Amino acid sequence: MVQFIDARWTDVLFQSYQHFSLVVQSLLLATVAAVALAALVTSREGLAPVANTVSAVGLTIPSFALLGLLLPLVGIGAVPAVVLVTFYATLPVLRNTVVGLQGVDAGLIEAARGQGMSGAAVFWRVRLPLAWPVVMTGVRVSAQMSMGVAAIAAYALGPGLGTYIFTGLAQAGGANALNSALVGTVGIVLLALVLDAVLVLLSRLTTPKGITV
Amino acid sequence: MRRLSTLSREDKLLIQGLPAFVVLVLAAWVIWRLTADLGDVEARLLTWSNILELTWQHLQIVLICTVLVLALAVPCGVLLTRSRAAFLSPLVTGIANAGQAAPVIGVIVLLALVLGFGLWTAVLALTLYAFLPVLANTVAGLRGVDRGTVEAARGMGMSPTQVLMRVELPVAMPVIMAGARTALVLLVGAAAFATFIDAGGLGLLVQTGIIMFRYSILVSGAILVALLALLVEWAGRVMELLLRPRGLV
Repeated sequence: MVQFIDARWTDVLFQSYQHFSLVVQSLLLATVAAVALAALVTSREGLAPVANTVSAVGLTIPSFALLGLLLPLVGIGAVPAVVLVTFYATLPVLRNTVVGLQGVDAGLIEAARGQGMSGAAVFWRVRLPLAWPVVMTGVRVSAQMSMGVAAIAAYALGPGLGTYIFTGLAQAGGANALNSALVGTVGIVLLALVLDAVLVLLSRLTTPKGITV
Repeated sequence: MRRLSTLSREDKLLIQGLPAFVVLVLAAWVIWRLTADLGDVEARLLTWSNILELTWQHLQIVLICTVLVLALAVPCGVLLTRSRAAFLSPLVTGIANAGQAAPVIGVIVLLALVLGFGLWTAVLALTLYAFLPVLANTVAGLRGVDRGTVEAARGMGMSPTQVLMRVELPVAMPVIMAGARTALVLLVGAAAFATFIDAGGLGLLVQTGIIMFRYSILVSGAILVALLALLVEWAGRVMELLLRPRGLV
């Protein structure tokens, strides 16, 4: 095992970096899209249940099936990986943001309006900050899921540590198969734990002081 | 139907819309299959008998795992919430959280390399994978039972077993069922990977489609797996509705 990693140290690091960067970039994209969608959905009467239904149904669709549906559209490689991870990462953030925005006390919004704040100012300075802890919880759920989804994208030649898992599978019976699959799996668990710790820290730092318990 | 009227709009949309959507897409796919001019390879893989066989294999894996998960995770959850075993619960929560970060495809491949390929390795890997959501929800559901209610049941002279069977489990049922539904849907999706270790299932179509670059096989497999997952999600929601204790709505 030590020998295995030692012999390809730079490649393990490179794939880990690729995996991490794929997840983080998709997560960023997903969070922006989800918050924008949630803002839209909560501003119209009756759209929120539709959004929640969409996210529930979306999460039901197996990632391997969606990968299969994507390949004819975008080919193999990094593009389906980004689309796949972003799709699954958007849904928990969307759901949590909708719930978080709906949970903001109507009296507070009225008070903000009464102070002369515009609709945009109310969103950025009152509603989003108050919903933020719930949004960040959604981001953490998404992050963990994305780590696994990114591994599956490697089957269609996507980047990242999933490559090691599928190499292990392809070389079953070979001397390095187990090492390869172990590096991929354990590497992803470690990356997921690191990312979660970063997100917890980020959530602490970005939550407004007035609402931390 | 009276139960249906107590649901939120989101749940109603799901319970009424899902079967309609599944039937629509399935019908479209069947029409395509009946009329499409398929090549040699496609026609051989997409025969009705082959598709039924693969669907049955897929369902078999899901059903075996579901029975195993429910039979193991719910008693585990009950044990963890008894006061005598309370000291174990932070340990189990820690392991469960770390375990949840493990990608299911990694777990399947690792177990297959150690134990050999085949159906039972797939069952073991998927059971491990689906164990956590059910365990977590069982513990959360039982912890959420009002202490006062339990005290009242004890005060009426119920034995601890009676309290568990007639008060705690029924009250915790909605949360436990939500966990079971999550696990079931995860299983349908993860069972698509069983084909990688020669355990069959609808994933075979997706895998073959990708390897041989035949989009019709690939998309057929993907659609069927997705429809199966949606159908299972719907069945889970209906079960949840029917099993909810009357007083709890």
